[in-house]
Amino acid sequence: MHEASIALSLIDVASEVLREHGAARASALTVRVGAWSSVVPEALTAAFPACAAGTPLEGARLSVVTVPGVGECPVHGRVTLDVKRGLRCPACGAPTPTLLAGDELELDEIELAEPDREDL
Amino acid sequence: MTATKPRIVTVRQHILKANDHTAAENRAAFAAAGVRAINLASSPGAGKTALLERTLRDLAGQVNMAVAVGDLATENDAARLRQHGAQAEQIVTGTICHLDAAMVQAVLPRFDLAGLEVLFLENVGNLVCPSSYDLGEAARAVLISTTEGEDKPLKYPTMFNTADVVVITKMDLADAVGFDRDLCRENIDRARPGVPVIELSSLSGAGLDAWYAFVRGQGV
Ligand SMILES: [Zn+2]
Repeated sequence: MHEASIALSLIDVASEVLREHGAARASALTVRVGAWSSVVPEALTAAFPACAAGTPLEGARLSVVTVPGVGECPVHGRVTLDVKRGLRCPACGAPTPTLLAGDELELDEIELAEPDREDL
Repeated sequence: MTATKPRIVTVRQHILKANDHTAAENRAAFAAAGVRAINLASSPGAGKTALLERTLRDLAGQVNMAVAVGDLATENDAARLRQHGAQAEQIVTGTICHLDAAMVQAVLPRFDLAGLEVLFLENVGNLVCPSSYDLGEAARAVLISTTEGEDKPLKYPTMFNTADVVVITKMDLADAVGFDRDLCRENIDRARPGVPVIELSSLSGAGLDAWYAFVRGQGV
């Protein structure tokens, strides 16, 4: 599994955002993981705390939002895909070659633990 | 005024953006040198190294090729590949179960890119993790052998969904293991509708012409 590698990359991206905002720590972060991302949310959540130890993300609450696959059927329009059936319309079985959603692996939001100077 | 006021920052950034950045640098280096980089991914034992050995042998003198091969620990694959006269450099990945763009970038100075036409990036045997990491390759080939079951494409949808070509290896064993060719091709097409599929045997040589056309960038 590569969730530890993903967790380390997540911490790098998040730390950069904290620096840009002059924040020392984050209290929470939200990640969006697509059903076609090959990342297992539970494994990422399990790997995160140890990877975050000693970083500005230490102790931050990680929420993983799973994004289902969405394809476009020529007949049925936008359809939600079942990963076990592949890129096929669930209604008629037509191929839906392009994933419109579901391949995400992104840091969505960070909750900063400390306020900006302007907020004081 | 409260002492601490939590503030939500919307980020919306790819978690692997650093890898994407390095992959773009690799891609630019390959383009500048006129090298076609091919990322090969499969389960362990699907026959990546056997196919590369055969390829290095058959195309020797026609195409200038080299291999960067990722492995958890051993140097075995690189040693096997060097016997066929091509440069092969091992990328020891340690506990990491995939190649990433930085590992590839680190090994590039060992190659004379300007003198190469094709650089194979033989990934670690794994159908999960390599799918997330762009190496800067021009094309990604995903291998599945007739001995590993027809449902692999649906079990590992991300890997197959990122393939530019799917190669079914060990076709010489298809009958012996009761390989269901139609089911396998149906599952591949569900994972990646329309993807070209090459059936071949590195042992008998059947189907290699289509593979060599792909290697040369002449389509499938
Ligand atoms: Zn439909």
